[in-house]
Amino acid sequence: MLAKLKAVTFEVLETMYYLFPETLEEGEVVPARGPFLRSWVTIAGPQSLRIGLQVPQSLARKMAANFLGTDEAGISKPEMEDILKETTNMMAGAFLSKMEASGAFKLQTPEAQWLTDAEKSKKSPANRLRFDVDDELMELFVEKG
Amino acid sequence: MAYNVLIVDDSATMRALIRKVLVISGFDIGEYFEGANGREALGILEQNWVDIILSDVHMPEMDGATLVKNLKQHEMWRHIPVVLITTESRPEVINPFLNLGVHDYIQKPFRPETIKKKLTGILGEAITPDASETESCDF
Repeated sequence: MLAKLKAVTFEVLETMYYLFPETLEEGEVVPARGPFLRSWVTIAGPQSLRIGLQVPQSLARKMAANFLGTDEAGISKPEMEDILKETTNMMAGAFLSKMEASGAFKLQTPEAQWLTDAEKSKKSPANRLRFDVDDELMELFVEKG
Repeated sequence: MAYNVLIVDDSATMRALIRKVLVISGFDIGEYFEGANGREALGILEQNWVDIILSDVHMPEMDGATLVKNLKQHEMWRHIPVVLITTESRPEVINPFLNLGVHDYIQKPFRPETIKKKLTGILGEAITPDASETESCDF
């Protein structure tokens, strides 16, 4: 499942942002400083799932500027939230479209939350993949919804 | 020929993106209108001529399906092509809209050349091979 999610994540990032993530191996580190923005979408069904992304504010700002074609300095927090929610929504939609027997599942509205360094450490999902995106950390996670 | 375009999406960010992609694609936009839901879209149509509508599915107040139903009941608006902009391509999501009379759908994420090809196809214009190759650009 993570492999399929990784594939759709790469597709969304490359198509919409022209960003090319690289998978981080165990032990590889990309420095990241909070606050962090986490966004997720619940795929509701017989076995509900929650899939999402978590990025530092600096990457959220970069993605929003890239997405909207504007200067990073002019990007607001709500715009960053909107962009990351839209990204997770696209990922979840693409993921669901590729799943077999997906008829019983339904996408919920995407959500977003800001986390401090401490909150991020406490709430870090176990089932996740880490990527290096333009020298910034991006985490893709999946958990029971 | 320039076409008047109406984009309906509750996300201002997504509306801005679609507009940007349309401009990059080279699609000939005449007037550009946007609404945050179906109700706003109907208000815009009362006042303006629109050639094509790009609509989201899930929106507060009036969703995409209700918007299409309203359009189809209206003498002036029933022939305006509607293209869904959606995150999903599953038949169970798309088919009900096609049955309502939606012309086509574009799945996010999308590229400028995809959106131009769809729209020009729907509006009855041929795309020259040169144009579709040269306009594969960054955004």
